[in-house]
Amino acid sequence: MEPASTLPTLLMWAWLLPLISFVAILFFGKHMGPHGKGAAYLATVAIVGAGLLSFTALFGVWLPNHPLADAAHASDPLHGNHGIPDDSHNGSHSDAPTSAGKHAHRAYHGATDGGALRNTQRDAQLALNIQPVALLAEHGSLAEHGSLNDSQAHANNKTPPYYNGDFYTLAAFGPLKLSIGYYIDSLTVAMFCMVALIASCVHFYAIGYMHDELHEFTDSEVTLADGQPLKRPGRYHRFFQYLSLFCFSMFGIVIAGNMAMVFVFWELVGICSYFLIGFYIERKTASTAANKAFIVNRVGDFGMLIGMMALWSSLGTFSFGDTKDADGKFTERGIFSLLRTAENDYHLKPAGDMAFEGHRIMPTDSDGEVQSGDSDNRAGQWLLLVAGVGIFCGCVGKSAQFPLHVWLPDAMEGPTPVSALVHSATMVAAGVYLAGRFFPVFSPEVLLVIAYTGCITLVIAATIAITATDIKRVLAYSTVSQLGYMMLALGLGGWVAGMFHLFTHAFFKSLLFMCSGSVIHGVHTNDMTEMGGLRKKMPVTAYTMLVGCLAIIGAGIPLSTIGFSGYYSKDAIIEQAFSFADLNPVHWPLKWAPVAGALITAFYMFRLWYMTFAGKPRNQHRYDHAHESPRVMTLPLVVLAVFALGIGWTVPGTSLKVTNLLEQSRPVGTLATTHGELLPSLVLPDEHRSHEWEFRKPAGIAAFATAALGLLLATVVYLWRFLNPDELKQRFRSIHAVFWNKWWFDEIYGALIVAPGLLLAKWITKFDLGIIDSIIHGTAATCKGGAKVVDAVLDRTLVDGSANGMARGTWDLGLWLRKIQTGSLRQYVMLLVISTVLLFAAASYLQQIIPGQ
Amino acid sequence: MTLSEPAVYLSLIVFLPAIAALVLAIFPRLNDDALKLTTLAITIAVLVLSLGLFRQGAGIDFQAGVAEMQNTFNLEWIPSFGIQYFMGIDGISFPLVILTAFLSVLAMAASWPITKHVKAYCILFLLLETGMLGVFLALDFFLFYVLWEVMLLPMYFLIGVWGGPRREYAAIKFFLYTLLGSIGMLIAILMLYFNSDLTRLDAEQMVNAGIVKTTPGQSVEDALQAWTDSGSPLANDYADITAESDLAKRRPLHTFNILALQQMGQMENSPFDKEMWAGKSVQWWAFILLFIGFVIKVPSVPLHTWLPDAHVEAPTPISMILAGVLLKMGGYGIIRICYPICPDAAYDLAYCVCFVGVLSMVWGAFAALAQTDFKRMVAYSSVSHMGYVVLGLGVWSAVADTGYSPYYWQMGVNGAMFQMIAHGISSAGMFFLVGVVYDRVHHRNLNEYGGLFAKMPVYSGLAVGIFFAGLGLPGLCGFVGEVLVVLAVWRYSIVLAVISAAVVILTAGYILWAIQRVYLGAEYTGPHGENLTPITMRELLIAAPLLVLAIVLGVYPPSLLNYMQPSVDRQVERLAEWTERNHPPGTEGQALNDEGGHMAATRSD
Repeated sequence: MEPASTLPTLLMWAWLLPLISFVAILFFGKHMGPHGKGAAYLATVAIVGAGLLSFTALFGVWLPNHPLADAAHASDPLHGNHGIPDDSHNGSHSDAPTSAGKHAHRAYHGATDGGALRNTQRDAQLALNIQPVALLAEHGSLAEHGSLNDSQAHANNKTPPYYNGDFYTLAAFGPLKLSIGYYIDSLTVAMFCMVALIASCVHFYAIGYMHDELHEFTDSEVTLADGQPLKRPGRYHRFFQYLSLFCFSMFGIVIAGNMAMVFVFWELVGICSYFLIGFYIERKTASTAANKAFIVNRVGDFGMLIGMMALWSSLGTFSFGDTKDADGKFTERGIFSLLRTAENDYHLKPAGDMAFEGHRIMPTDSDGEVQSGDSDNRAGQWLLLVAGVGIFCGCVGKSAQFPLHVWLPDAMEGPTPVSALVHSATMVAAGVYLAGRFFPVFSPEVLLVIAYTGCITLVIAATIAITATDIKRVLAYSTVSQLGYMMLALGLGGWVAGMFHLFTHAFFKSLLFMCSGSVIHGVHTNDMTEMGGLRKKMPVTAYTMLVGCLAIIGAGIPLSTIGFSGYYSKDAIIEQAFSFADLNPVHWPLKWAPVAGALITAFYMFRLWYMTFAGKPRNQHRYDHAHESPRVMTLPLVVLAVFALGIGWTVPGTSLKVTNLLEQSRPVGTLATTHGELLPSLVLPDEHRSHEWEFRKPAGIAAFATAALGLLLATVVYLWRFLNPDELKQRFRSIHAVFWNKWWFDEIYGALIVAPGLLLAKWITKFDLGIIDSIIHGTAATCKGGAKVVDAVLDRTLVDGSANGMARGTWDLGLWLRKIQTGSLRQYVMLLVISTVLLFAAASYLQQIIPGQ
Repeated sequence: MTLSEPAVYLSLIVFLPAIAALVLAIFPRLNDDALKLTTLAITIAVLVLSLGLFRQGAGIDFQAGVAEMQNTFNLEWIPSFGIQYFMGIDGISFPLVILTAFLSVLAMAASWPITKHVKAYCILFLLLETGMLGVFLALDFFLFYVLWEVMLLPMYFLIGVWGGPRREYAAIKFFLYTLLGSIGMLIAILMLYFNSDLTRLDAEQMVNAGIVKTTPGQSVEDALQAWTDSGSPLANDYADITAESDLAKRRPLHTFNILALQQMGQMENSPFDKEMWAGKSVQWWAFILLFIGFVIKVPSVPLHTWLPDAHVEAPTPISMILAGVLLKMGGYGIIRICYPICPDAAYDLAYCVCFVGVLSMVWGAFAALAQTDFKRMVAYSSVSHMGYVVLGLGVWSAVADTGYSPYYWQMGVNGAMFQMIAHGISSAGMFFLVGVVYDRVHHRNLNEYGGLFAKMPVYSGLAVGIFFAGLGLPGLCGFVGEVLVVLAVWRYSIVLAVISAAVVILTAGYILWAIQRVYLGAEYTGPHGENLTPITMRELLIAAPLLVLAIVLGVYPPSLLNYMQPSVDRQVERLAEWTERNHPPGTEGQALNDEGGHMAATRSD
């Protein structure tokens, strides 16, 4: 099969099936089967279909064309790429590697093929290990490091194999183009499989979980004005409608071929999450939580928009991949290849004209490159920082990282399957996914920001999880904390570690959530203080959840390759942290936070499990009515438990393994040790270095020891009860208050942002009414007054006055003349004579003065 | 005199409502329903006529992908002042004409609850439609002005007679604001008129201005000669003046032709560059006056306070028209008149324009957040959304530092135009949906609503869809315009870009909060709860097309851009070329070394 055409087709249909289901349910959901039950089947069929297509894409198309290298260090995509010179396929053939790089590659691969992999590798890396630190003092420029790295056995990696193209164009302006397209590499395919698999489980589970929506639903949490609980028609089909829309949007993010499309679907998953959190629209808490989720996400999107603007205005493209014509010439270059060119040995370097543009307001920044006279283009570096941190802001919002983590725990107002799918496994992972996808664009400084964000998040969230008693909230904070781990890993340069944890976490966390949902379904409460001893009543739930707990704490035999899925991914992260801290001792918190986090994780997870399933029932009434969930709900639990256990394993007899698959997508140019440009002391180790025994050993031991200690503590307190939790609470009252009140984030935001915002809004309204309208009214009044003055002065006095005056004058004249008319003949004759004399006198006078008469 | 002549066809589109209004006025006896049906039929006929422009191959049609003015015609009107009856249609006006005709139908359908003085209402409504369509089609500045005023009076009465309790106040406020703007506009028109000189245009420009018509195969010079000999009053004047060979003795031939004025504004040694007052040129002052006039209509902060009052008091259909069409006239005026006729002033004042846009976006959004009156909230959201339009028009990034690359500005202007159409759809929809519940419960207090989803599910579904279109959700029309504008701003000004991006948070805030207060919640506890019945078929038929359009435009923006973009792009390209001629690198006290810009230019090529 020709992957360049089959892969997009398969994944496009996998992507569109849920959309079709959404539209169908939107219009006909109510009439599908009894009480809309058919809607559930339709949605489930759609997502299972999508899953089948995704797995076909993976096993039928991707893997046959891109066989996995069997070593952990199989970074070279050349392996899978023979003879696919398709024009839409932009494999690693495209960029002619430098001869040094080629040589290094060959040498390196010679080593991997042989059995002496580890030694060669280690020697090379040990050498590398020493060199950068020593070099740091001598050389500032990136290029020199690059060439030096090439001369070592560790060449920088090239563009991974991918397929990209456009479905259709949204808008184009000259060379600027916004389109709906695809970018498919092994990460895309793997994400499709993961999302579809988990979503299928969630759909099955929801068929059972949501069954009370099939009939009239009594919402005991909503009391009407007449004191009765709310009764309303069930909304079974609506739930599946939203789930379908969500799956469509999530697939959209994963398949997206450019940043604009990511943003489109980014917002769409946001709105799905809004609908799903606010599913119980009658509950004020639910609708408030939904608003909070969307608005907090928008805060992140604001940053993301800034990042997008910065890139768009300087690079003029949003595409991830390059487009080439039949001859292999670039017709359009994507972000990655513009920023990491083959000439620069795939090191991140701002494109030549990348600077702050549109600088009528800041003209000096425009030509920073020229002015500074050197090649490091500091303005460009700053722009990259803005772009990277901006894009990362979006990830912070979606993945509920500090300081925007506040929405996720509230999002637990939604039905549990939603929490499992949207708010643990997939949507919140979209932030990590995007950070991973955008990894080649992040400069070391941005990665440092990411690392610290993850680090702070993982600790804060874990501490809150210790004190929470709502079973779903514990898991919510645990999710936040685990997402912090992933971000930390990415920030430390551990791309595969971070993405791998995304996959393992997706399985075990959706398992944990669905188990908690099963518990809630069985005992009708979220409150762990009313549970206890439930393992006897609901064994399947209890033991599958135990698998989940063991997976999340990373249970495994230390320093071996045997363990639960979390063991592999979490250890990889801690190894990377050790490797990073080795080169950057000043950033020691990044080393110890994940270790401390492992302890807390183990503690709160087992606190949860013990409080729920072990010990004696705390509420006998609830215990008596508790029951195991129906098979349609437990079966997905078992399936997910299997994956939570084994997703990190290698399929026996093959090299099929998630990390190997991910390694095929390793972003271009991220396998070399790099240095900060703005922070020259910052060194980002390449990821393979972390697998050194030197780091693996202490990291593995630290991870195991802390997790074991956490587990032990939880056991001591909550199972054996050597220590009384209430006493502990009293003893550490102040700290407990901090954790219990979630570090007062909500209150702080309320006081610092929401309240001033609303106040400003009120002021602005008052300004409109008070100032602007007053000016208008004042002007109107002035005009009116002016008109009155005009009326009084001009009209009444002058105009009217003269008119009236003439009238009066005429009248007076008449009156006066009347006096003449006396009736006395003598007076008349007298007047006649005088007049005649006067007339004659006048006539003769006129005759004299008028000439020619 | 057949329909295939532009003069007949376009005149019919514009004046059919006015003729119908006259006929209605003469025919004395019709019952209310018959009156409304007749009026609705007329608006539908106008819509059919305007949609007929899509029909390719007929004598008159609108061709997508053509940048130039199409289907133009000019007839002498008042020859002694060179005033012509001159109309035409291009990618900028075409979508607005369709939008106007479409919204008129919906607004008339939404007028069924009107029971007071129905006949007068229908007559004024039809006159209003004539005014609106005419403004978008007129290419003679005098005609434009007359139609602008024609639309003003019916609106005044429609608010002042059929409005709410404070209708007189709102109507007079609307009238005075707009009148203030039109007086400034009139002064500017006269300033431009008396400084214009048609004889300065060469043959090709005369053709471009729609004065001289060419026949296929004819050179422009021949066409000009043929026109000069044609004996029309204007041609005779032109011939008389150009017969004088001494340029110094020639008297100017003034014109109101908008296309001709555009070319004069952009030519070398433009006649509008003459210094007028306070060291500023004619076009500088004209731009200020015109811009104020148009920006009142948009409306932008601080000249916006008529809008909330007018909307709150106006009856539902008039609010739809007001938000959907009238506000667009402001944006249309800026893009059609301000920028092309006064480029020099526009270039100087570009930052002010953008600032006004951003200020309106932020101001409107904050104000919307604080409202408790549903309609007032929607009105302020209009202020905010129309701010995007002003911002998008103003982002003059085709400057020396960017190598005069017009693409980002094209994106901004196209985004602004898209936003106008999108806002026409979403805001008309929002006002209609507010009207639907107002008709039932007779109040608009956001805090007294709640729980409408349970009582009116279909209505609430539509409402949420249309409000999300206003929120700028991807897949709906509001998103495209906003994102195009916002992405275009950075290249012009980073500060404004950051502020404009921040508005997305506020928009989400006020829209979601309103949705929560109105549609979500357990039950409706406000007054007249018993009247909350599901929406009627008539209401559904008004709201559903708006939502469908919102989705179509949101999912497939080329459905609009294909028609609009060529004209917009060409205008921006011309202005970019003008910038390159008049502001060569190094003249602005900006970065002398524009290497970055040149590289950008070469890459974009």
